[in-house]
Parts: sequence; C-alpha cells; structure tokens
Amino acid sequence: MTAAVSSVGLQVISAFTMIMDFVILVQKTLLRTISPPYRLRDIIRQLEFVAWESAPVVVFSVSFAAIVTIIEASFHMKLVIKNDALVPGFAALLILRELGAVVSALLITSRVGAGLAAEVGSMQVTEQVDALKILGIDPIRYLVVPRFVACVLGGFLLSIIANLVCLFCAMLVSQIKLGYSPGGFIMAMRTFVGFQDLVFASIKGACFGAVIPIFSCFYGFRCKAGAEGVGLATTNSVVTTSVAIIVLDFLLGYIFSFFY
Amino acid sequence: MLTVISHIIDDIGGGIFFLGDVIRVVSRHKISFSRVADQIWKVTTQSMTTTALAGFFVGAISTIQFTMQVKEFGALGYLGGLATSGTIREVGPLLIAFMLSGKVGAYTSAELGTMKVTEQIDAIRCLGANPILEIILPRFIGIIVSSFFLLAAGLMMSIVGGLVMGIIFAHINPQEYLRHIPTIVTWSSLVSGLFKCLCFALVLATICTYKGYTTTGGARGVGTSVVNTAVSTMVGIVIMDWLTSLVGESVMTVVMGL
Amino acid sequence: MIRFENVVKSFGERTILKGVSFEVQEGEILFILGTSGTGKSVLLKNIVGLLRPTSGQIWIGDDEVSQLTEEQYFPVRKICGMVFQHPALFDSLTIFENVAFGLRRHYPEMAVEQIQEKVITSLSLVGIHGVEQKMPAQLSYGMQKRVSLARTVAIDPRILLFDEPTTGLDPVTTNAINHLIQGLSRKLKTTSLVVSHDMHCALDIADRIIVLDKGNIVEQGTPEELKKSEHPLVKDFLMEALNAHGH
Repeated sequence: MTAAVSSVGLQVISAFTMIMDFVILVQKTLLRTISPPYRLRDIIRQLEFVAWESAPVVVFSVSFAAIVTIIEASFHMKLVIKNDALVPGFAALLILRELGAVVSALLITSRVGAGLAAEVGSMQVTEQVDALKILGIDPIRYLVVPRFVACVLGGFLLSIIANLVCLFCAMLVSQIKLGYSPGGFIMAMRTFVGFQDLVFASIKGACFGAVIPIFSCFYGFRCKAGAEGVGLATTNSVVTTSVAIIVLDFLLGYIFSFFY
Repeated sequence: MLTVISHIIDDIGGGIFFLGDVIRVVSRHKISFSRVADQIWKVTTQSMTTTALAGFFVGAISTIQFTMQVKEFGALGYLGGLATSGTIREVGPLLIAFMLSGKVGAYTSAELGTMKVTEQIDAIRCLGANPILEIILPRFIGIIVSSFFLLAAGLMMSIVGGLVMGIIFAHINPQEYLRHIPTIVTWSSLVSGLFKCLCFALVLATICTYKGYTTTGGARGVGTSVVNTAVSTMVGIVIMDWLTSLVGESVMTVVMGL
Repeated sequence: MIRFENVVKSFGERTILKGVSFEVQEGEILFILGTSGTGKSVLLKNIVGLLRPTSGQIWIGDDEVSQLTEEQYFPVRKICGMVFQHPALFDSLTIFENVAFGLRRHYPEMAVEQIQEKVITSLSLVGIHGVEQKMPAQLSYGMQKRVSLARTVAIDPRILLFDEPTTGLDPVTTNAINHLIQGLSRKLKTTSLVVSHDMHCALDIADRIIVLDKGNIVEQGTPEELKKSEHPLVKDFLMEALNAHGH
C-alpha cells in the first residue's frame, strides 16, 4: 500500500518537475531571444533549413490537399444541393482557416521538429551539450534561440506561401473541373472568406512555428543514452508538438472568431 | 536536383520491393495470430488518447469556422451538416492521419530502427528465424488494423467535438445540430471516409516498417529514420488522399449515374 | 573449416574487402586484427550470410555458401554461431526466452524440458545463474554480453564468430570475456574466429592472427611469428600492446 502510494507520489513529482523544466526552458528562450547579442548569421542559416528547404515538400503537399478539397467539395455539393456555387467559398474556407496553416505546420513538425530533436538529442548523448557549457557557452542561446526565431519566421512565411499556393491550385482545378474562370472563382470565394483570413492564417503559422523548436529542444535535452533514447526523444517531440498544434489551432480559431 | 529525384525514386522502389517481401512472407507462412493481436492491442491502446483528442479538436475547429459563415446566411440549422461533412470528407481523415503518422509511424520506426542498429535483427537471422515473419509482419498487420480503427474512432470523435462546439459556441440545441447531419452527410461520405482510412493505414504501415527496417548508423541513424518516416508518411498520405478521391469520384459517378 | 577465396565486398563505389583469401583450421582460435573501419566486421557478416560477397567464394566445411538463398542459409547458421558487438538481446523477451529463441527455431523437435535444461547449462557455461526471468534491461552491460554468448552457444555451433567482443568494456570484464572465449572454444571444441583490435589479448589466446588493413591481409601467422613482423601497422599494434600492459 505504502509502496503504491509512494510510486504514485513519485510519478506526480516527476510530472511536476517536467512541467517546471518546460516552463523554465520557455522563459529562458524568450528572455534570450529579446536580449542581445542577436546571432543573425545563425538565424539566417537556420531559416534556410526551416523555410527554404521545407518549402518544396510543403508546396507539394498542399497542392495535393487543394485538389482533394475541390474534388470532394464539388462532388458533394452536386449530390446534396445540386449546384456548385458554394464550392469556391467552401473550399477557400477550409483551406485558409485550417488546411494551409495546419498542414504546413504539421509538415514542419515532422521535418524540422523531429530533425531538431534528433540533432539536439544526439548532441546531448554524445556530451556535446556539456562541452558547450564547459566552454562557457549557454546551450539555450547557442542552440535554441536561433532555431526558435527561425521557426517563428519560417512558420509565418510558409503559412502564407502554403495558403496562396493552395488557393491557386484550387482555382486551377475548379477551372478545369467546374469551369470557373479565375475571376469567377475569386468572386465566389469572397462570399466566405476575406483578406483578414490570410492575416490570421499567417499569425497561426508564426504561433505554430514557435511551438515546434521549444518542444523539440525540450525532449532533445532530456534524451537518454543510446539509439533507443534518441528514437524516443524524436517520437515524443513529434507527437507532443502535433497535439499542441491542433489544440493551439482550436484556441486561436476561437480567439480570432471575435474579430470578424 | 536530379540526385534528389533519383534518391526519391530509389526510396519508393525500395519501399515497393519491401512490400513485395512482406506479401511473399504472408503467402508462404502461417501468421501467428496471438502476436498480431498483441500488436493491435498495443498500438490501439497507445494511440487512442492522442487520436481521440486530435479528432475532437479538429471537429471543434470546423464548427467554429463554419458558424461564422452560416450565421451570415441565416442558415444555422445546416451547421451540423456542413461542419460534419467538411470534417469527415476533407480535413478529418487527413489531419487525424497526420497525427497517427507522428504517433504510430514514428514510434514503430524508432523501435525497429533501434533493433536494427543494436544488431537485434541480425541476431534473429543468425538464430534461424526470418525477421520479416517474426518482427515486421505482426507490426505491419497490427498497424493496418489498428490505424483503421483509430482513424475511424478519430472521425467519430470529430463529430462529437463539432457537436460540443455547436452547443457551446453557436448556441444551437443538440437535436437541431444532429437533425441535419443525415441530410448532408450521406452513406457515400461515410464509405469514402472509411475507404480513405484504410488506404492511409496501408501507406503508414508500409513506410514506417520499411524505414525502420532499413535504418543504419547508430543512435543518429535512428533519429534520421524517424524524421524520414514522419515526412514521407505525410507526403504519402497526401498523395493517397488525392488518389482515393479520384477513385471515389469515378466510382460514385458510375454508381450514381451522375 | 572456413576458406575465403579472393572475396571482394563493395558497397556502391566503396570497396571494403579487396580480394581476401585465408583459411581457418578446425579447432583453432583465429584472431583478425585491424584498425576501425578496415572491414573486419564486414568479413564476419559475409560468413553468416548477413552480407553477401560481391565476388569470390566462401567455403564452410565442404559447402560453398556465397550464393545460397536466405532459406538455404539457415542450416549454415546452425553451425556458425555469431556473437555481436552489441549484446543484441531482444528487449521484450526474458533472459530465458532470449537464450531459448535460437533453440526453438533451429531445433523445432526439442521438448520443453530439453530446452529448459539446455538454457540453464548454456547460462552456467558463461557463469550466470538465477536471472532467467529477468529482462535484459535489468542486467549490467557485461552480464548482457555473457547472456548473448550463452544464446549463441546454446544452439551447439561448431564455429563461433565474435565481432569485437570486448569493445566498450572495462579492463576487468574484458579480461573475463577473453578468457571465456578461450575456455568455451577449448571446452566445446569449436573453431573460433575473433574480430578485434586488442593485440595484447590476441597474443594471449590466439592460435593464429591475421592482420587486415584497408581491405587487404597484410600479415598472418602465429603470435610468435607476428612478433617478428616488419610491417609498420603490425609494429604499431605490438608497441601499443606492450605499452598498455607494461611488459
């Protein structure tokens, strides 16, 4: 009985310290982001990895997602309300409010976030993080901050790119499949969405981008030795970040709904 | 650029050969049912909360987004139908499958990758067993079955999430919300949604077992393998989404005579 | 017992083994020495068919094995037991199940009691008692190494292959494992092939030593012959062995 109680107690304590560690990491990252020195060169190099190298896979994926959205919506509308006047608006709404930002964020999570967790995890396991500390270099300033800034900027930019590409593809497909002219598509689309949706989508992208490196570095720093440890750190960071993005998407959607 | 393309093609080819190996083993050997059942149980219980949570929120988001538009048209009664249809047919399967590729896919490839780099897979071969039969196959079948159920469960949860938000956010009463779901969400939506889930599960199982099984290069290699799994599953799922939509559309067109 | 004839192994553009020929006599302990990355482990994996040679022939007993399919290889693996660099124990199985794993597959006709008995004797051969129901993670690294050795000898192989058996172990455990290799090989009358970079221990327990460098055999002979070698790499190895152990 006492053993059971103490084991539960230990679990509670370990969960609590984990949350505290996380809060401290967030706090330190934010403080060091706003205080000089700003490591511009590092940030730009990270931005290349986060945004430029992820762009092809994001663009590729959202184009397919756009095609699917149009196919599904048009077929469906034909079946239910016997015309496709609502298709552009319906599709644009799904794209701008959800698909564009969330799909690109989830892709960045798996490419950049998982990569980051694996990288920081291997550094932790091979004692490179300790080596940094001994050399008097703050690992958070050196490792986390450049990636944090790069991911916020990258998330912002990629979200805009993804949404525009996605809408463009949707326009193209509806011209081929439904015979909408580009002008007609935009007119029909405007009944459901406006410019502010793109602004909100890019804010969402930046927020998602901020979440990714924090969780990845958090799990990377806690990585246990060996192949198993690195694998676990990477997996945990992908899962936690994805869940966090979905929940955050919900919260932001709720907040933005008051601004329409 | 060309080297990148050739790598991608190599990768796809390798995956297809691997799938061939797996199917060959299925056709030649008796599969241990208890081991498959173990895997199904393990994967399902491990990922149920994540999937249910993701499904709930995806549904909730859709409802929020549609509420604002539908209100303008004064058609709040149709909210349930529209939001549910948008979730089940488009965003739902895709986003929930993305979650699963993180949860199940990354976990499996990390597990298999660890076994590979610590020479456990070589040890199995040396001890006179076929690693595809003993290690890969139970996971492969287990992942297909449980992912299918998880995706379906996630979709159900998304309906619940939508309903809850409809009550809280749009102040619509539950009967009203539910009443219009059947008018807009038809059997074809449901069948095509489930068919999609099955195809996504197949993509997920193939890619994560293949990537895990071909891991090289120590602890770092396991990390790389997990990253590659997550990215390629997502891309694979997006492509599969498109393919199933095309097939679904043509099948429906023939069946319905549209 | 094992004969390599001009074996070449390449990975894409990189050639790891560049035409290696040698022979292992029945019942001897042969050490293969070399610096890291010279293809020692690749050589071993070619014997058990985990890798296949690009060209050349490998004879085990009277059979040429380099062209066999995976299924045809199973009988070969019954006579060639391999001990890996990692303990490579299956994390999800108990120590007992780990040792019994090979027995159940290589000897499907074996009764439960026989398997039980065999597992216990194999474990006691490596000096382990009473941990059959524990999981691998509960044992120390040195213990895991021993269990892995027991798992290999349990299937009664006539040839034992060791891939860097003492890498990453402390000197005391290294010593113990080396003597275990020697003791087991003599007791079970097996032919043993050990891949290592520990010249000191090779001089101690090997019947013959082969030195491999950049995919080629540069020197071979008994420990006494090797001590007189003029090859610079062999001399470096000898220097290192003498310095490290204060002879």
